[in-house]
Amino acid sequence: MSIRKGKNYPYGIHVKDMKELCAESPIVKMPAPKKVYISMSQHIGAPAIPVVNVGDKVTKRQLIGKASGVVSANVFSSVCGTVTAIEDIVTSSGLKMTHIVIENDGRNDEIFFDNIENFEPQTIIERIRLAGIVGLGGAGFPTAVKLSPKTQLEYLVINGAECEPYLNCDYRLMIENTEDIYKGAKYCAMALGIKKIIIGIEANKPKAIEALSKYDDIEVVVLKKQYPMGSEKHLIYCTTGKKVPIGKMPFDVGCCVQNIKTLIAIKHAIDDNKALSSTVLTVSGNGIKEPKNLRIQIGTPLEDIIEFCGGLTDGVVKIVAGGPMMGKGMIGTNSYTRKTNSGYLFLTEKETNSEQPSNCINCGKCAKNCPMRLMPMYIESYALAGDYENAKKYGAMNCIECGSCAYNCPAKRSLVQSISMAKSKIKELKI
Amino acid sequence: MANDQVLYQYSSSPHVKATRTTKQIMIRVCIALLPAAIMGIVYFGLKAALIIALSLISAVASEAVYLLIGKKTIKEIIAQFDFTSAVTGLLVGLSIGVNYPWYAPILGSTFAVVVVKMLFGGTGKNVVNPAVTGRIFIFMSFQAVVGAWVIPNIGAVGGLSVESGATVLGSVLNSNLNGVSNLDLLLGTGLAGCIGETCKIALIAGGVYLAIEGIINIGYPIIYIAVTGLFTVALNGFDFAYFLPSILSGGLILGAIFMATDYTTTPNTTLGNVIYFVFLGLITAGLRQATHMEVVSFAILLGNLFVPLIDKFVINKPFGFIRAKKVKENKNG
Repeated sequence: MSIRKGKNYPYGIHVKDMKELCAESPIVKMPAPKKVYISMSQHIGAPAIPVVNVGDKVTKRQLIGKASGVVSANVFSSVCGTVTAIEDIVTSSGLKMTHIVIENDGRNDEIFFDNIENFEPQTIIERIRLAGIVGLGGAGFPTAVKLSPKTQLEYLVINGAECEPYLNCDYRLMIENTEDIYKGAKYCAMALGIKKIIIGIEANKPKAIEALSKYDDIEVVVLKKQYPMGSEKHLIYCTTGKKVPIGKMPFDVGCCVQNIKTLIAIKHAIDDNKALSSTVLTVSGNGIKEPKNLRIQIGTPLEDIIEFCGGLTDGVVKIVAGGPMMGKGMIGTNSYTRKTNSGYLFLTEKETNSEQPSNCINCGKCAKNCPMRLMPMYIESYALAGDYENAKKYGAMNCIECGSCAYNCPAKRSLVQSISMAKSKIKELKI
Repeated sequence: MANDQVLYQYSSSPHVKATRTTKQIMIRVCIALLPAAIMGIVYFGLKAALIIALSLISAVASEAVYLLIGKKTIKEIIAQFDFTSAVTGLLVGLSIGVNYPWYAPILGSTFAVVVVKMLFGGTGKNVVNPAVTGRIFIFMSFQAVVGAWVIPNIGAVGGLSVESGATVLGSVLNSNLNGVSNLDLLLGTGLAGCIGETCKIALIAGGVYLAIEGIINIGYPIIYIAVTGLFTVALNGFDFAYFLPSILSGGLILGAIFMATDYTTTPNTTLGNVIYFVFLGLITAGLRQATHMEVVSFAILLGNLFVPLIDKFVINKPFGFIRAKKVKENKNG
């Protein structure tokens, strides 16, 4: 039972948060669809290798894709049924991925792991690896790898900021599944040998703060409502006061950051012996008739989700997988739920304000707002001119692509696009 | 449904953006200039209205003609119009006196928009502030033809007694504070000068509006004005009687709030801006003292030329930046 205010960080922006569309609607379980399309690359690293063949009968939570390396993750079936195809599909976000298509036969079977015998760090990490758990905040980095740092860490920081507008899934889980988060955090701390557990929650979520403040051994840090509070480095700074040096990782300052959903998945894997086969996401935006928070089977086609949420309204101009600030745009509805999905947004013209870019007027707003304290306008102009060396000099590689610069740009320049192009070019050319 | 059919807008993140555009910013700057324009017309009559109108129209028209010559269609020109030329036109009109001939603002605005802005690549590409350069252009070109400064229609209310034809700044700079009233300087009553410069209250109101709208950082013009005032005081043997007259006379407030804060010609970082505005204050006070002339526009022009240099050296340190430890040289070695 300890609540304190987080450290102030002066750089960042205020975004219209739009959470009211479905902040108070409880998580609804969406029935499993007739067909699921399960991707083999739902994480950072090498894609999983399919271990089933076309025609095979599979059961829910049966291993269908095996991790193909250390940085990779197992993939499980989310329904009972028959494998009808294993094919490469180009989804609407432009990624070509191998999908296993399973036709649901409506059976209610499930496969469970055996009970864990001892709670040694190694057993816990092994179970997390086996259950295919990855960072569910969006990055998809295999959690087992994250929990095996080379040095002894000091803090486990839980990310309850959810600073992305529209999204409510973490908020709902903090209220509805508080106990699961607590247990997951305890297992995580056990695996790392950490004593201090901190959860950072933005001040606009009083109910979540109240729910989590009932545990004696979790410190609740109330963060200022500011974007991007949920960024790893800023969360660490505001909760513990530590600055992650440029080019270093959180474990270099003795911190491990975990997402709310990841902790719940860890709890299910250890206590309930369940592999990761479903996720919670927010379906929102003015373009969908009934915005909802859904518990959903991995591999559910987007079209089924739209139907379940009452269909689209007129005037949808943009569909986004993830949050509006960092999510991926899509050209159509050919998309299937992955582990890391935190939402689908259907945006209308009024919400996007996407005008054609005009000349930069040098107002300096991007540099003033940049939470990483970079100079986006220079990086952009160097990137567009093809001068990647100078783009790197002005900090292109430190960009976290949060979108603070482009959000406020009066000339509507595509700053993030140019900077991420520069980043990939710098990597490609090894500058 | 075919997989490659583009049904929705596809772009890089962020997918939502703030509503404010360049055009909206410039419209607000125009609104902020309205009180000064209205007071100018009240003080100097219809000739002032004519000058402001001619300046505004010629600025906008010259931009349109330039783009037409550049083979843009009328539709494109209207879509592209972002009110920056309107701001330039208004500022040029406000920064000259009613004693100037009617064609002076037309020449000044056209020069400002076409030569200073458009030839350098349009909005955001100009090296120096167009309005400042337009004002200097007129100032330099018409010195021989203009008569004495015109005293406004409304007489002094605070005991200002400056002869027709002289400006208060002239008296201040000649170290003669007799007959200078700060109240009259603030209100512009009985004060000879340019159309938009005399009523300081109207300019300050515009500045406050811009600050509330978040368009300018009010701290920067305050730095400029304060440094000018303090440096003038210092140059006059620390006589604080010079402080208010020096900041309230001449074009300092108009220049500080509306010309020096132009986004394009100011540095991009907070520290850079502070350096820039302190620099402006110092050269304004210094040059005024040295030349006994109104030099705000020259100071801003000069300052503009140093902006690329400031931007080259003053850049933000990234979050998590650790200064490389300097290895101390061993003196004995």
